[in-house]
Order: sequence, then structure tokens, then C-alpha cells
Amino acid sequence: MRITTYIARRALLVPPVLIGVVTITFVLFTALPVSDQLIAHYGSPSPKQRCGYQETCSCATLNPTSVVGDTCYCISPPTKVTPTDQCVNPVYREYYDRLGLNQPVVVQWATYLYRTFTLHWGTVSNHSTVAQVYPQLQGVPVVTAIAWELPYTLELALLSLWVILTLAIPLGNASAVYRNRPVDQGSRVLSFSGFALPAFLLGNLLVLGVILLLLPHTGPLVKSPWCPSGEPIAEEFTYSLPQARSCYAALPFGAAFPTWVANGVHSTPTGLFTVDALIHHDPWLALDSLLRIVVPALVVAYGSVAILLRFVRNSMLEVMNLDYIRTARAGGVPEATVVRRHAGRNSMNVTITVLGLTFAAFLGGFPVIEAVFHLNGIGELLAVAANPSQALDFGVIFGSTVLFCLIIVSANLIVDVLYAYLDPRVRLG
Amino acid sequence: MTLPPSPAPKRRRGKPHPQLEQLERTWYFFRRNTLGLVGLGIILSITGVAIYATALPLPWTSVPIWCATEYGPSNAASGYPHNFVMDCPSTGPVVCTYEQSPPPNAASFCGDHWYKTPVVSNIPFPSVIAPTLTLSPYSSGPLPLGGLTVSSGSRTPIYDISGLIARGADWSLLFSVSIVGIGAAAGLMIGAIAGFYGGLLDDVLMRIVDVFLSIPTILFVIVVVAVVSANLPAAGGDVWVKVIALILGFSVVWWPFYARIVRGQVLSVREQKFVEAAFASGAPRRRILLRHIIPNSVYPIFIQFSLDVGTIPLLIGALVFLGFGTMLFPSVPFPEWGSLSALSVQDLQGDFMVSCTTPATGCVIPWWQLVFPGLALFFYALSVNLLSDGLRDALDPRLRR
Repeated sequence: MRITTYIARRALLVPPVLIGVVTITFVLFTALPVSDQLIAHYGSPSPKQRCGYQETCSCATLNPTSVVGDTCYCISPPTKVTPTDQCVNPVYREYYDRLGLNQPVVVQWATYLYRTFTLHWGTVSNHSTVAQVYPQLQGVPVVTAIAWELPYTLELALLSLWVILTLAIPLGNASAVYRNRPVDQGSRVLSFSGFALPAFLLGNLLVLGVILLLLPHTGPLVKSPWCPSGEPIAEEFTYSLPQARSCYAALPFGAAFPTWVANGVHSTPTGLFTVDALIHHDPWLALDSLLRIVVPALVVAYGSVAILLRFVRNSMLEVMNLDYIRTARAGGVPEATVVRRHAGRNSMNVTITVLGLTFAAFLGGFPVIEAVFHLNGIGELLAVAANPSQALDFGVIFGSTVLFCLIIVSANLIVDVLYAYLDPRVRLG
Repeated sequence: MTLPPSPAPKRRRGKPHPQLEQLERTWYFFRRNTLGLVGLGIILSITGVAIYATALPLPWTSVPIWCATEYGPSNAASGYPHNFVMDCPSTGPVVCTYEQSPPPNAASFCGDHWYKTPVVSNIPFPSVIAPTLTLSPYSSGPLPLGGLTVSSGSRTPIYDISGLIARGADWSLLFSVSIVGIGAAAGLMIGAIAGFYGGLLDDVLMRIVDVFLSIPTILFVIVVVAVVSANLPAAGGDVWVKVIALILGFSVVWWPFYARIVRGQVLSVREQKFVEAAFASGAPRRRILLRHIIPNSVYPIFIQFSLDVGTIPLLIGALVFLGFGTMLFPSVPFPEWGSLSALSVQDLQGDFMVSCTTPATGCVIPWWQLVFPGLALFFYALSVNLLSDGLRDALDPRLRR
């Protein structure tokens, strides 16, 4: 089979999975109370709609101008009641119909699919935790909010993927070649502890450790070339950018974020903080934002390296016993070349397969790690949206979930295609 | 013509039951794996603690821990210079007082009794650099592991960590085993049916599994828990309603992994000679599935099961860290290890974000709140992983060399 045919066949499997994923989110979405569904779609009701999206409301709240003494006039149904009596809220009925909740479930499902695939993911609410943490996102379409925060997550993901690949493969190969020697034991410890240390714990242990290390030398305020006035030690390597406004006092625009960072959330033009800082000729800030991303990338990579190490080691052990390795050795090929060229090629296949299998878990680590380090990515957006200290923001929750699934489905596609490219048996079989 | 009933197969005397024999063989191989034995030991001792803490309510764990430890009989001496309000679980808010000359670990009078009050603040700033190692002022149980402050509203009550950890053993085990158990059972049935019957049913079921597998577990759990909690009353409520909702929410996410593993195994078992023999002897398909195929494809399930049991508390911890503590559990802090370590992390973040940065107020970094619940969680997950590694070696004949 030609590789293009293989790609076409594999791509045909994508739409059913996507529809399935959106169907699951649809089922969960319909299980929400109606008012939450309405807020997720249309954002918070405006103050003019006094009663919001409630189904019924006391007549006085709904229609204060019609209160005359003990009587009040309901608009729907048009009746004369006392001010405390419940009337039907016309706003509720209007939006209920507009969202299509009066339609049969199949139609609702179809419209939900349509809306999702045309990127109508709803609106950020005005009263949720997201709105409190990021006031600039209030009432913004969810897609816009996500598009602002996605590049940062991509930056983090790419960096940690790079860490994973450069760490897991050589270490796995080495621990297979030097089986039961210190390298192998060390990588075993690394891998077992990776299974048992959750990201929120490891991340905070690192933060705590660095603080304890730095404190005697720097004191509670750390002065750096990009922040000569000093910033609190705990903020020095969390957050995407220096939070202390005084850091920017020397900049031409005064004590505010640089102009290319929109309120500290989204940077222009690329959205990648490091790149943008370089574009705007600020190498110190570029270095700073890179340093801030390194520790979280290491923490995210740790869990995946733990899994990958085992697989690479096992496959390498199997390969090292095969006949062609013996033949190569008998032919006088240097041992290093045998390991790197002849056997090592195999570990790339394994790495890609396992990465594909664990990619969902890898991405699932982002909400936690971005919340630990307060990074401006979609992971943190989701974490904030799901934080019940204020109201939950279901528009953001569902939107970012769908986005994560989209990324995973396309990553799986890429992995399969890569695999078919690297291993011809797949596309022949 | 009817065949005479075949006599029950006689077992040779002195030879154990075949399954018992299999078990003995597994134990023989398992026993040679030192790390696996260590894992098993830790798991057994955790189970012991769990049973002990459940069956015999320990005096220092069964009471809500804030203001828990009686310090001594009431001393009606006159003149209490430092009054402060304390929320005692039995009596509600009471004006509590320090003794005139407080005992070394700052006892306080609350209601009718003396209590040991953990004191965290008022230690000069330089001590941050050398974190304190004497934890007894911060703990109230027999094991000095320090106290855990949990900020809720305006109050910051302090709980004894050793007590919380002891009480958490059974909850952690209950959550892990029941969630993974339900998931594994459902996955086993669905995967076996899909693999055995094949055809359209298989295709449909496996596409559903694909769909579930392309949603990250933790995200799915976040959404499920958020939706469930949007339909539940916000605070309070019955303990078991929330616990069961949590378990079911997780189980929905958990079965597809097992379905996929079991299906792969069933596909290979189905082609073997003994299944063919069973078909030839006219056994009904249901019986073949239940008696021949499923028993022969459960081993990978055991391994995956033992791996997953360790990850549940880590996931719950991540959820609590993201702020779902009040939604998931009826009380904060709920003594579940993942939840505890997440709470400690939140509190620690608050601490070094706020107070430790200003030399004027001064503070001690309460490292123990991060370390001890974290260690409990770490050793639990680690031992489960070691156990499963040992099990894999013992159950998989290819790895026994």
C-alpha cells in the first residue's frame, strides 16, 4: 500500500471518533441545569434582564414598574398577582427556544455537533472564576479566549516533548545495554518514582526546594537583570511573566505589562512569549520567560519519561538478542555502532507508539502543571474555569475539553502515519 | 441414544487443586522478586492500618481533629490574659484562653478541657532558612508529624497530620479498589464480548472505546464531576451520595482501557485448541465465553489493575488541587491521601506566596504538611507499582528467566 493510501484510510477513521467525542460532551452538557447551559452559550444575562435565566421569578423582580400597591402585572401569562407571586420569565422562554431546547433530542444533538465543528463554543461568563481571574475575558467568545492561551501551551508541550525524547531514548537504551548495572538501577528508580509522584506534588516540591536554596543567597526579593527592582522569590520562577509591576517601571510605558502583552494573558504577534520578547528586542525577558517554562516542562516530561523508559528498555532488550545483532557483531561492527545504528533504530518506533498511547495522559497533565506554576495556557484556563470558588464556567470547560480531544485525535493520526512511515510492515500488512 | 453420565473426575490423592497449584507456582516466582515483596509488604501494612483505623476508632483520630487532644483537667485558676475564640466541634464557638503560664506546647482552654494548640506563626524570619525539625508543637497525636492548616473562609483550623493519614488509609483503599474494580469488571465483560462475538458488535464497541480513550482521563473526570456537582446541592449532603457519585464518575472513565486489553487477549485465546475442543464438544457459546475464554484472559487485567489502583489517589489529589475538594468530599479536609497532599500543597502555596516573602511578619515554611501526606501517597503508589511489576514477572512466563 502506498503511504498516501494509508494516510487516506487512516484519516477516514477520524470523523467517527470526533463525532463520538462531541456526542459524549453533548450528553454531559444536556445533563447540566438549563440556566448553566444558557450561560455557557450566551454568556451571563445582562443586568437589564433582572431575573437572568431563571425559569420563574417573583413579579416584583421581573416587572418592578408594574407594581401598584398590592398588585403587580405578570407579562406571561398576563395576569394580575401580588408582587411576591411567581411569573414565568420571558427571557428564559426566549433563550430556551433559541438554544433549541424545545426541539427533539436528535435535533439538539445535530445542532450541538454543528456548533462545535463551526467553532461556536459559547461565551465566557461574567461571574465565573475565569471572569474574576481574567477580567479581560468576560463576555469574550470561548474560542477567542482559547486561541489567546493556546500558543503558550503549545510552547510548553513542544519543550517537554523535546525533553522526553532527548531523555527517554538514550537512557532507555543505556539501561538495556548495561542491564542491572548502576545506569539501569538509576533509571528504574526514576521510572518508579515517576509513576508515584503526581505533578502537583513534584512541582511544588521543586518550587519549595528552589526557594529554600535561593533564600539564603538572595533574600525574599530576587533582583534580576529583567527585574532590577526585585520580585518576590516565589513569583520568580512561576507565572509566565514577572508579575511585580515595578519590574516594568524602567520600560518606556511605565509600570504596566509591555504593550505586546495584552493584560498579561496574550502576547502578540505569535503568542509564544519567548519568541515575542525576541521580536520586540527584549532578550532578558525572553530568557526569563524561557526559564519560567523549563521547570514545568521538566515536571510534565517526568511522568512520560517514566513510562517510556520501561518500554524502550524492554524492546531494546528483546532486540539485542536477535540474530542480526549477532551477525553485525560477528562482522566486526564496533559495539557502539551496533547499539546506536542497528538496535537503536528500533527504539524510535517504540517511542512513537508509546507516545501515541500516552499522549492523552501527557496532555491531561497540563491543567495541573499550569495551575501549579500559574502559566497562561489553556490548561490553566480550564483549571480556573473548573475552580468552584465562584461559579463554574461550563462554556470554557466544554470548549477546552473538546479542544484537548481534537489535539489528541490529530496527534494519534500523526503518530500512526509516522509509524507507518518508519515501519513499512504496518502499511504492507 | 443417551450417553451415560461421565463419572466426576477423580483427583489423585496428594495433588492439590490445579488452580491452587497455579497460585503456588505464581507465589514461587513472585517470592524471588525482592522489590515486589517490599511492595506487597507496604500494601499489607497499609491495609492493616486501614482495618485498624476503621474497626477500632483511635482516640486521636475518631474525633474531628481540630481541638482534638485533651491536655489535662480544667484548671480554674484566675486570670486568663489571652482570650481567643475557638470553634470546638462539640460546643460551637467558645471563648478559649491560654493558661497564665502556658505549657511548652501552648495548651489552651476550650470548653471544659485543655487542648494542645499548634502554633505556627511568630517565629522570626531567619528560621526560614533552617526549617524546624521539632514538630511536636505542631502536632497533637502520639506521632509528631506536624499539623495541617486548612484555610476555609476567615478561619484557619489546624488538623493533626498523623491522625489524618491514619484515617485516610481506608478511604484511599476504598476509592482505588472500588473505582478500578468497577472499571475492570465492566471492561472485562465488554472487551470479552467484543472480542468473542466479533463482527459489527466488535466494531461498534471498539469505536466507542476509541472515543473514550481520546479524552484525557483527568479532563473527563473534571467534566463529569463538574456536571454531577452542578446537579447536587453545593455543600453538605450525605457523605455516601458524594462518595458514590465520585466512584461512579471515575468508573465511567475507567472501563475502556480494560476493554481494549481484554479484547486483545480474547482474540488470541479464541484461536487456541482448547476453545476449538469446547466448540467441538458442543458447549454453548455463553459457556465457552464464561468458562474457557474469560478465565484464560484475566492475567493482563490483574497487572493493569494493580497498576491503576496506585494512580487513583494521585488523580483525586490532582482534582482536589484544582479546587474540587468541596465538591468531591462532604468535609474539608477529607482524609484521603491524594486530597490531603493536595490541600497541603494549596496551603503551602498560600504560605510562601503570602507570608514568607515579607521579612517583617516572619514564618516557618511548614514543609511537613507537604512531605508527610506526600510520602504516604508516594509510598502507596510506589508499592502498588512494585507489586504489579513483581506480579507481571511472576505471571508472564516469558519474563521468568
